Amino acid sequence: MVSLLEDLRNRFGGAIGAIRAETAHQLAIALNSPDVRAIAGHLRDHWASRVAAVFAEDRTAAEGVFYNHYVFEQAGNPCYLILEAPVPAHDPRFPSLAAELPAVNWQEREIQDWFGLEATGHPNPRRVALHDNWPDVHPLRKDFALDQELPPFEGEQHVYRPTLGEGVFQIPVGPVHAGIIEPGHFNFAVAGEPILYLQLRMFYTHKGTEKLFEHIPIPRAVFLAESISGDSAFSHGTAFCQAIERAAEIEVPPRAHVMRTILLELERIYNHIADIGAISNDVGFVIANAHAGRVRELVLNLNEALTGSRLLRGMVSVGGVRRDWSRAQRDLLRDAMGGMESEFRDLVALVKSSDSTQDRLERTGILTPEKARMLGIVGVGGRASGVDLDVRRDHPYAAYGRYPLRVPVYEAGDVCHRMQVRIEEVGESFGLIRAAAGDLPDGEHCAPPQPIPPDRCALSAVEGWRGEILHWVRTAPGNRLERCKIKDPSVNNWPALVEAVQGNIIADFPVINKSFNLSYSGTDR
Amino acid sequence: MMQLLLLLAISPLISGLIKTLKARMQTRRGPGVLQFYRDLYKLFRKGMVIPDTASWIFTAAPYIVFVTTLMAGLMLPMTSTKAPLDLFGGVLAIVYLLGLGRFFLALAGMDTGSSFGGLGSSREMTISALAEPAMMLAVFTVAIAANSTNLSEVARSAVGQNWRFFAPAQMLACAALYLVLIAETGRIPVDNPATHLELTMVHEAMILEYSGPHLALIEWAASMKQLVLMTLLVNVFWPFGLASGPSVPGALGGLGWLLLKLGLLSCSIVLVETTNAKLRLFRVPEMLAVAFTLGTLALVSTFLF
Repeated sequence: MVSLLEDLRNRFGGAIGAIRAETAHQLAIALNSPDVRAIAGHLRDHWASRVAAVFAEDRTAAEGVFYNHYVFEQAGNPCYLILEAPVPAHDPRFPSLAAELPAVNWQEREIQDWFGLEATGHPNPRRVALHDNWPDVHPLRKDFALDQELPPFEGEQHVYRPTLGEGVFQIPVGPVHAGIIEPGHFNFAVAGEPILYLQLRMFYTHKGTEKLFEHIPIPRAVFLAESISGDSAFSHGTAFCQAIERAAEIEVPPRAHVMRTILLELERIYNHIADIGAISNDVGFVIANAHAGRVRELVLNLNEALTGSRLLRGMVSVGGVRRDWSRAQRDLLRDAMGGMESEFRDLVALVKSSDSTQDRLERTGILTPEKARMLGIVGVGGRASGVDLDVRRDHPYAAYGRYPLRVPVYEAGDVCHRMQVRIEEVGESFGLIRAAAGDLPDGEHCAPPQPIPPDRCALSAVEGWRGEILHWVRTAPGNRLERCKIKDPSVNNWPALVEAVQGNIIADFPVINKSFNLSYSGTDR
Repeated sequence: MMQLLLLLAISPLISGLIKTLKARMQTRRGPGVLQFYRDLYKLFRKGMVIPDTASWIFTAAPYIVFVTTLMAGLMLPMTSTKAPLDLFGGVLAIVYLLGLGRFFLALAGMDTGSSFGGLGSSREMTISALAEPAMMLAVFTVAIAANSTNLSEVARSAVGQNWRFFAPAQMLACAALYLVLIAETGRIPVDNPATHLELTMVHEAMILEYSGPHLALIEWAASMKQLVLMTLLVNVFWPFGLASGPSVPGALGGLGWLLLKLGLLSCSIVLVETTNAKLRLFRVPEMLAVAFTLGTLALVSTFLF
């Protein structure tokens, strides 16, 4: 790390201010100007770094400036690097990185929408988070009141890229869909069956979550974090609690670390099994979905027995977990694993034995490794396309790092391999739970409550079942938060869908979409 | 008259039976076999939403589809070797009456201007353009064996020689017609009748804009079409139990045999649907090419053996 910092100091000495190790997991570098293009390019080209997140913060009241935070992750370095670039309030503009680093495309536009800071030179500076019908307001600025009323919706004003050409048709799908899923608009241009291009529109379920975090006390904010994306309740909850614990330097008891690890893996298992079933269902192999539903139910019942909630809500808390496990619950966990594992193996055998299913999945919806890297794809979608990232291995948290973990990575990038990554990850999760359950330390399950000191910053990363979840907090006096940034893996991965569907036939879109299975709510917040 | 009632009455039963069996195969309880009747009853009592952009074709199509399918059914020997409308046409008339209904349904799919309707219509026409020749070859094979395209004649000649279906030509034609049956009734692996994914639908995408009584007519017609094609298959190739004259015991016996044969055929359809995934859309022509080849071989082997 020192050599990286020395290198940065030597090259960009004039641009770099203070360097602070805010927690053991992050290093903040204060910059003197909003222009990070040179440093970002250098980090990417010479230090094998990728931008994990970009977000802004309104510090005009305290310091008279906005800050843009650029979170970099360097391969092989467990410590995240955060560049803090001030953007003056009187000239709210910053040079865009999107042309160089397409991964930040949406996130920079979010900054434009939320904070009114202009990303100059952005190749597509249109609105993304606030829809075109919104008035000119910037909700995450501190001078925007939480209860401010806005004019009612007066109709869609978004202009899509035109669909032109002989025999080329536009197929608009959504935002309201036939299945029980969340809203999102998919605008296809098709030439007969093949898809020429897809335009995505998200943020229909924007709930102002990040703003809301600034207005509720931290213990209540844990519940808000759990509802960011319903199927990742425990991962988001853990990411949030971990951020607070790091900011306040709360020592989490070892027992809580192990319990969190087990529950995080149970969340991964139940979601991956559901996805394996749903992918089969979308190619018409319904029987596999029926069995996947049954096996998933076993996991959900176990969840309920362990936490009182089938979807693991209400269990995580700042300092550990809310409830300890009795002897009987630990026995139940141990006894349930064998049955679930053999049921899961049967399910996988069923899916793999169906030639017609495999034929539909192979070479469908290919996301090439080059595109995956360029777009900054994380999680399952990334690992199926050669992006070897896993927070559990790269930035161990909770009890990870103590137990062996193999991260499956493939280059093929098709639906089949996204399913294969899931299948192997479930196998790894069973192994992790077994190891962790056999090694549950005695002691407290939660650290005693303590006041959270103000004005501390902390970043927390959790490998949710979809991929890397990041929470960044700055605390405020009175057990509150000044700012909470949430980055769900879906934010990175939606653009991957656009690339993966190109050239496929429109009838295959549902299964390609399902193979990524991204969260609308987590994206929209 | 009796056959008219039979067509109207037992087609929902067969559809319901397939649904229930499928659910059981998927470890679900599923709806009861009578659910289709309840659905029809419900739809007939509902109001309709007709798109502003629709022309008279949209309104006329459900009636045309219903009537043509019913007519086709009346040209088919169901319980006895004598079909009610056998004077009006043979197997060719059946194929083209069904074709007429499909033509109007495809037009109606495009009529509303909805993108899914057009998608469904284009897919349906692609599939049926390939299924139709295969079906023609298969029926010609049996027509040649019976020296007539009139199905009453075909059935009579088949009843006369009970084990004829072991002839290579007959078996090949039967296999071809089975593949056509699966394609034409929109079953997995060609189409998934139970899907909610508009982008993958074929038949369901065409009728997406229909509601209320119109939808009931179309669903009922689809169910009758399935019954017609299934009956064609079982009665032409396994003519057991067909009554030779208009007598009450003969008709009852014929009905019993028909239901038994349809039940067995339903089971085989359910097995195919459960053990297969849906084919990639561009693989469907390959499957129908197999049907066409089987039909050709059947026709050729008529002259060889």
